[in-house]
Amino acid sequence: MVEITITYCPFDGYQFSEEDTKCKFCDFDRRRAWNLLKNSSSKSEKKPPWRKLLWIKQDYPDDHVDDTFLDELQKNVNVRAYDYWTVVMESTVISQHISSIVIFIAVFIDLFWGRLSAQNLIISGTVLTIIGYIFWDKSISKTDPAYEYKRWKTAKGAVLFFVTLLGLSPILKTLTKDTSSDTIWALTVILFLANMLFHDYGSENRTNIKFPGSLSTNAAIFASVLLASRLEVNSHVFGLMLFAVEWFALFPIFRRYTKSLSAKFNVALTCILFILATTLFLYISNVIAIIYVLGIIFITFACPYWLIWIQKYKNEIHGPWDEARPKLQPPNE
Amino acid sequence: MYNIAMVSDFFYPNMGGVEGHLYQLSLMLTQRGHKVIIITHSYGNRTGVRYLTNGLKVYYVPHMVIYSEATLPTIYGFFPIFRNIILRERINIVHGHQAFSSLCHEAILHARTMGMRVCFTDHSLFGFADASSILMNKVLKFTLSDIDHVICVSNTSKENTVLRAALTPQMVSVIPNAVVASQFKPDPSAQDKNFITIVVASRLVYRKGMDLLVAVIPRICKTEPKVRFIIGGDGPKRIDLEQMREKNLLHDRVEFLGSVMHHEVHSVLTKGHIFLNTSLTEAFCIGMVEAACCGLLVVSTKVGGVPEVLPRHMIIFSKPEEEDLVNAVLKAIKMIRLKEAVPTKFHDEIKEMYSWSNVAERTEKVYDKIWKLKTPPLMERLRRYYGCGIWAGKIFCIVMAVDYLFWRFLEWLFPTDEIDIAPAFPYQKYRKMFQMADEDDENS
Repeated sequence: MVEITITYCPFDGYQFSEEDTKCKFCDFDRRRAWNLLKNSSSKSEKKPPWRKLLWIKQDYPDDHVDDTFLDELQKNVNVRAYDYWTVVMESTVISQHISSIVIFIAVFIDLFWGRLSAQNLIISGTVLTIIGYIFWDKSISKTDPAYEYKRWKTAKGAVLFFVTLLGLSPILKTLTKDTSSDTIWALTVILFLANMLFHDYGSENRTNIKFPGSLSTNAAIFASVLLASRLEVNSHVFGLMLFAVEWFALFPIFRRYTKSLSAKFNVALTCILFILATTLFLYISNVIAIIYVLGIIFITFACPYWLIWIQKYKNEIHGPWDEARPKLQPPNE
Repeated sequence: MYNIAMVSDFFYPNMGGVEGHLYQLSLMLTQRGHKVIIITHSYGNRTGVRYLTNGLKVYYVPHMVIYSEATLPTIYGFFPIFRNIILRERINIVHGHQAFSSLCHEAILHARTMGMRVCFTDHSLFGFADASSILMNKVLKFTLSDIDHVICVSNTSKENTVLRAALTPQMVSVIPNAVVASQFKPDPSAQDKNFITIVVASRLVYRKGMDLLVAVIPRICKTEPKVRFIIGGDGPKRIDLEQMREKNLLHDRVEFLGSVMHHEVHSVLTKGHIFLNTSLTEAFCIGMVEAACCGLLVVSTKVGGVPEVLPRHMIIFSKPEEEDLVNAVLKAIKMIRLKEAVPTKFHDEIKEMYSWSNVAERTEKVYDKIWKLKTPPLMERLRRYYGCGIWAGKIFCIVMAVDYLFWRFLEWLFPTDEIDIAPAFPYQKYRKMFQMADEDDENS
């Protein structure tokens, strides 16, 4: 601001000395004039800028829209840019799961038509499970030494389960005798869809899941029970149920584990499952095999591209109105 | 002078920020010579027409309540009785309150069909991410696409509403809430001299940051032995708080009052030295202003509109994080102990900052402004609704068109000239008599 001083009386030209407050000739009030001048000059200056505060009375109308309006708006802060091949790799989780369902259905059809003997299924299933267990055991005892004593418990549990299932097989066989086959096929399709939708595809951070994996596993086991009840021979029923438990309860754990182990293993496993499902179904129905192959190609190659393409329509808005996430410290025991 | 109808689901006997706002604003507008009625839904056996202090007329319309006093959205069910009330009372401005209230949304739609001036006050903040807010925002966009003016309680709330309902910001005014300063006088004699008391008064729900409170109380009690807590309010998170008290053996330091009646709030607040607000989202937070008015130093999380409400010497901000909040509270305790802050002086300052007469004056300016606007013709209204979205726009147009036809039908079935006009409450006379009675009391 410019310092204003009045050195002369405007009426008679008297020159003020430093201490003079009034004109000696005409009583002109020097201080008051100075104050008036100061006020008028500050008023002609710009209004004080608008402030985003409610407790001060500001010289602006209530519907004033300031230049700072929506300054704190943030757009798309949480958006990650996806890389095509990473997404393709991640999509293997889904194609693996679909393949495993398709393989299970193929196994059932082969059993139903008598092309596959129950003995072969039971033996190969058990052998693969044991190999898988040894594999798992080796790696987990490396990271968790307290695991040692659990082996005996696991073996006991496995035997108990084996025997129970064997005893239950005749009951399972006749469980849905009064229900028409059409109902069973329809229900099975719905249950496998539920299994596919609710399966826990995430690999890490499994603390915050809305639908636990158990819902998906239960749906699959229920579907297997329904399918098994269509079979004629006790050993077939037992074989299919054993396979179902290995395939839907234990195999996902193995798959998740391979994925965390290395990307190569994961790709290899995906390819094996894909080839297995295709060959099994080629004997059953060419049309379904082709649909399956096209579906897997769509999921693995087209969907990632689609996802990346659709990212540009993403519009996330954040601002001070968002509910804050309280940050708590982990409780120290 | 206008005849104003305030419409909201939330009114006395329910208690909260919106209810208080409606009541105080209506009283002040009545004092300024307007005629104000309130339309709300029935509460229990409280149905029909009631008069409150100073002849404030309240219509309790029978309506089904679905969730926390919000009514079932029926779109047209409310129209016949609403039209009747509007015509009986010769209303010309309809003022809806609170986005949660379906009664308010319906009233805005019908009032517009009947050619009234309409404005709306938004009292809360909303996110954009979860399903319920997406639905709410769509409904809000529908009602606010044809409105004269919107009032928000803070600048943050204004930004939020403008984004949610896709409004022009020039159509939105910011008018804060206020306090009745005479009801919140500081009373240093009520404070405990041996302890520093921290008061928490809010609903005990997640949105009010109760998880933070649970984490913070034991840590503060540990470092400061001469501090105690008084917690007023009730809600699902009370169990967590009580568990925290059990676990840390703080029965003599943490006191629960349960839900506090509105007239008791003052006596609870004056017991404390510090008011703690741990909200995760807040449009205005009237509780903080009331506390400061009672002479308490405020500690609050810096969320939503909170930073706009109080000057820096009355409030200590913290991030919504455990560590930061503990530090802020400890700082406040130190300030009280060393008398760095003199909260008892806050009362006079707050009295100047937030008064209902000021709010009423500013609201009146909004009414003046919308009074000068032209009511849009039917075609223009259809055009506005049509712009709401590819599908939503068409659905909204249908809803509006049916509403118009329904109105014509009502006009034919119950013609306007057959509806009796309710005599206005003689407010000036009433007030004069009241004053005379007061004088008589003083004389005798």
